[in-house]
Amino acid sequence: MNPLDLRSILRESVLEIRGDGKAGGGLVLAFQSLASLALTDPSLNVQEWPFFSSARRGANIRSYVRISARPIRIACEVTRPKLVLLMDEGAARTADFAQGVPAGGTFVLNTRHTPEVCAKHYGLSGRVVTISGDEIGLKHLKAQIGNVSAYVAMAHAIGGFTPGTVIDTFLSALKKRRIPETVLQRNREALEASLTEVKEGVFDEAKPGTHLVPPFAGYGDLPVGAQTALRLSQDNLTAYYARSGLRLHFSDPEDKCTGCGHCITNCPEGIIHWEPNDKNGLKVTGSDVTDYCKLCAECISVCPENLFSEIPFNVAWKEAEVSS
Amino acid sequence: MSTELNAPAARVTTPSGDWYPDAIDLAAVKAAHIPLYTQRTEITSDGNQAAAVAGLQMWRCLIYAGFPITPSTKWAEFSAATINGQKGSRKRVKLMEAEHAVADYMAAASAACRDLIFTTATSSVGLDHMYETIKSMGASGLGNAMLVNVYRCSANYPLCIEGDPSDTLGQRDCGWIQISCRGKQQIYDTVLQMPCVGMHPDVLTPTMPGFYGIKDSHRNARLICEPDSAIHEFQDRWIKPCPLPGLINGDTAMGNCVTSRYFQGFKVTQKRRFEKTLDVLPQVGADFERTFGRPGVSYFELAGWPESGAVDLAVVSMGPDFGTFEELRQEYAKTHGLKVAGMCIRLLSPFPREAVREKLRHARAVLVVNQAHHQTRGHLALDVADALCNLPSPPTIASTFCGMGGADVSEATWEAMLDSGRRALAGQTLPPYQIFHEGAAL
Repeated sequence: MNPLDLRSILRESVLEIRGDGKAGGGLVLAFQSLASLALTDPSLNVQEWPFFSSARRGANIRSYVRISARPIRIACEVTRPKLVLLMDEGAARTADFAQGVPAGGTFVLNTRHTPEVCAKHYGLSGRVVTISGDEIGLKHLKAQIGNVSAYVAMAHAIGGFTPGTVIDTFLSALKKRRIPETVLQRNREALEASLTEVKEGVFDEAKPGTHLVPPFAGYGDLPVGAQTALRLSQDNLTAYYARSGLRLHFSDPEDKCTGCGHCITNCPEGIIHWEPNDKNGLKVTGSDVTDYCKLCAECISVCPENLFSEIPFNVAWKEAEVSS
Repeated sequence: MSTELNAPAARVTTPSGDWYPDAIDLAAVKAAHIPLYTQRTEITSDGNQAAAVAGLQMWRCLIYAGFPITPSTKWAEFSAATINGQKGSRKRVKLMEAEHAVADYMAAASAACRDLIFTTATSSVGLDHMYETIKSMGASGLGNAMLVNVYRCSANYPLCIEGDPSDTLGQRDCGWIQISCRGKQQIYDTVLQMPCVGMHPDVLTPTMPGFYGIKDSHRNARLICEPDSAIHEFQDRWIKPCPLPGLINGDTAMGNCVTSRYFQGFKVTQKRRFEKTLDVLPQVGADFERTFGRPGVSYFELAGWPESGAVDLAVVSMGPDFGTFEELRQEYAKTHGLKVAGMCIRLLSPFPREAVREKLRHARAVLVVNQAHHQTRGHLALDVADALCNLPSPPTIASTFCGMGGADVSEATWEAMLDSGRRALAGQTLPPYQIFHEGAAL
């Protein structure tokens, strides 16, 4: 497996890049910064734009970048990228982030796992670059935001940019957004830490027939005004909008539930389980977080006994299965 | 702004109402402008920012009325953030309670101060909400009003936030000069030029530059910004003191109830002014190109036309997706042994029918690509058919639709549409129109 030389591609034709993530996760900023980074080279032309699906936090979104030494006229979506980013593994539940990437392409993942483990899990053939961006974000930015590291990993994958330019370009993008100086400093630390945390390897794990771009199969029969079948998120499970890496947890070992019912009436998804109770009328027994808990935290805020909480959900890949 | 507002001592009575030519001290307004750029500067920008920057660089733009609506919201956000960051700036962003209020504000302000420029940006139902007022403005000679229309499909159900020019095409009769842009540089350059067209004494018609939502509004690329001083010099060459009084009565559509006899005469002059755009716009565009070295505003852009003008298949389209056609045009023509050329329409209203006819008259077939839902064969197809109708043997027109709701127009879709054009060339009878997506006819 010979990885494609991304620098040659952008010199001789067009380097097309696609990213998958979730709204609110910083994917757009990472791609805007990558575009600005490429534009620091006056010989390069760049196009960068996002694609939004449902206009809500946590919904799957995509971003695209084209970089070329030639003027870029083409305007359609990128369907056969040479470099892809998976910013949030939760996004891979409903979208195949590797779709259309040719053998030898580059796959950048924000993940705690090694390149080898990722290549096997997602079935990737090419260069696999990983960085534990969420952990770096948590350490330096006090939030599970992986876009700083994902940007650094993409810049590393393309190559040819000095560390100073990589850092300064991202910070300039933040300055344009009038981010306070203390936050800028934390981002600088996260950028510097990311530069040394990138891991990579070359693997050939794709099975024949996987990650192909499917032919357009038409819209099928739609009732008047039907929308659901045309959404990016086809199954409409609201649990997919939850932040990755966390899950709602109910625990009442001391039998403190008073049966007030606030959690039941405030849950917008109706997922709180309860049973009749002689003493209080009802007793909450738990919640079904499988399909519809989007971690809105209503139950957490209304429970007078603090029986609900968010806990880290460590089995990350149960929530990140490749749809293909 | 009190120092710039003098007592209305000089009052001139005209058939169109009273005129207070000294009420606003334009020299003081110009002197209060704080430049954004003092030299030619390269930035990274998306379409919304490009439009906002151009507006902010004009000394005649003081107050920006706005109401947020995706995908044009960033225009107001960027304008407000920039003005707030300029110490001592006299400019203001005025957020109104809804789009109809923005239009009402612009109507009143641009009628009261005809030598200043009032601009906003909106999309989709935002433009629909302005409908009543902008029709009145279109009739009222308010060439100093400019509405940046960030195209988005004009429907509230189902909600779709992406670029589809059905909003702007649904307003073809509002009386505004509508010009379509693609790419950051063209957006920026067009916003700088359109007040020169709209405020020209022969035209006096409001202007509506527009570009595709998301596909251009959110697409970042390199943008060259000119120094404010050069922009002022260019605009001042074209924008002269308005000959009409600054009142909303007399020769305007607002305020008066008139008889049919007057109304028809009023409409005749409106139509004549509107058509004058076809004379003035190329002059402004040529001057812009001489001044800044980039193409100025024009009726359309061309790709691949031979000197003789004779082509087998001419493609008429608009917006950024034309770039994908440009990218594959030569290869497609070579593969099929055809001369294939393209025309990307920019001036939507008034439609440049004479120029379009002259360019297309030597084509054997014309493939028209419509990107907005419309009855019959599509807005562009009807305009092109109208332009060609007087030719002794007009080329066959193949009408297609694609990209509705901002859907992607892939290379495969372009190839399928071009194949449809080839069938028209071969003399096959095509349906009145076809809809394409991902290389398939739906």
